[in-house]
Amino acid sequence: MTEQTTAETGVPTPAEIESHLLEFLEARTKSAVSPDLDLFASGLVSSMFAMELVVLLEQRYGVAVVGGDLKLDNFRTVQRITELVLRLRDA
Amino acid sequence: MPEPLVAARPLVRGLVGDKAGAWDLAGELPADLLTDLGARGLLCAQVGTEYGGLGASSLANGEFTAFVGGLCSSLRSVMTSQGMAAWTIQRLGDAGQRAEHLRHLVSGGLAAVAFSEPDAGSDLSAMAATITPDGDDVVVTGRKVWTTAAAYADRIVVFGRYGDGAAAVVVPVSRPGVRVTRVADPLGCRAAGHANVELTDVRVPAGQVLGGTGQSLPLLVTAALAYGRMSVAWGCVGILRSCVEAVGAHARERRQFGTALIEHQLVARHMAELYADERSATLACAHASRCWDEGSPDMVAATVLAKYTGSRHAARGAATAVQVLASAGARDGHAVARAYRDAKLMEIIEGSSEICQLMLSRHALAADYS
Repeated sequence: MTEQTTAETGVPTPAEIESHLLEFLEARTKSAVSPDLDLFASGLVSSMFAMELVVLLEQRYGVAVVGGDLKLDNFRTVQRITELVLRLRDA
Repeated sequence: MPEPLVAARPLVRGLVGDKAGAWDLAGELPADLLTDLGARGLLCAQVGTEYGGLGASSLANGEFTAFVGGLCSSLRSVMTSQGMAAWTIQRLGDAGQRAEHLRHLVSGGLAAVAFSEPDAGSDLSAMAATITPDGDDVVVTGRKVWTTAAAYADRIVVFGRYGDGAAAVVVPVSRPGVRVTRVADPLGCRAAGHANVELTDVRVPAGQVLGGTGQSLPLLVTAALAYGRMSVAWGCVGILRSCVEAVGAHARERRQFGTALIEHQLVARHMAELYADERSATLACAHASRCWDEGSPDMVAATVLAKYTGSRHAARGAATAVQVLASAGARDGHAVARAYRDAKLMEIIEGSSEICQLMLSRHALAADYS
């Protein structure tokens, strides 16, 4: 990954994806969320909320989260979700 | 609304005619009705045109679902199952599986989706059915209950455990080891083909397992049910509309105490409440469908809200309709008697009202009105 920003490329950088996600999660859970917080163990995220995250990623980053990628492990932390977006975007 | 779904209305009205009551009493829909509508893509109208489907939006398909639901909730239930099967295949399947199965579902093939088990209803985490790899095949074993439309389906999407995770597999009903037994005398949607499905060491090619493996059951089920909930919600709008029409006609024509029923204020209140229930259910559904069509993350909660609102209002509205029609509507087969029984079931399937309440209560914690 290069250090280019969205303004230069039109494509969100990993850091930007992570900060978007943290913002969304903090707004929705009204709790402080760190990139490595286990969202399920902390009780912040239900399977219904995980589905919202799926739709959010699809809408915001133009990726399709289908088939084998629909596993909760992919949504366990903000870091994991960011990795998922990057992997699907590069696929 | 796309043209095909507008043109389909008189067609469906003609095919159903005045027969919904008789189908309800007989507990069976004509097989050729289902294959005919299926081959026109009308049972799962959101399937994309690249698969030969109609490519309808959620909003257009929702309004069509309400139209069909107003005529016959059993037929609408079959649409819900077919659409949910298609959505599950779309969401979980790979490109090849989509091409094969979605084309089948818009060419007269019929499908059902099997979640519930004797010990796994609202608590689907207790699901015991297993999908076990064996060479190039998988072996499916389990007991599914109350699978809507399974009595008509030629393929059943079965959810089950797969190793440490879960998976969904498309099982042709013709496979050895599949036994489909109708649920006797269901309370509502009597002709929707509810059946128990026993799977005993059913062997299918591993390619029938949708998408990858090691998926999580709650997420799979949430993804699949999203369509079912949306469809049931619109079906409830249809139930409410049929009740508004039936109550309106009766209250205008029937005279008691020297005047039309509608001139009696207590009856007028019933009419007003029924209409308000229909309108608010419609608005909840339309909002959820718009979220769906925009790909907004709000669609998940909006869909649960629509299902909850629609089913509760339909159950209340249908009870009101029976109250106003009284002896004129108090016989099985009558539109409002059917609505009364059908609507009650809608408070149970695809996530009971209580399960919806649990989800909505969690969601409410995140509400932000600033």
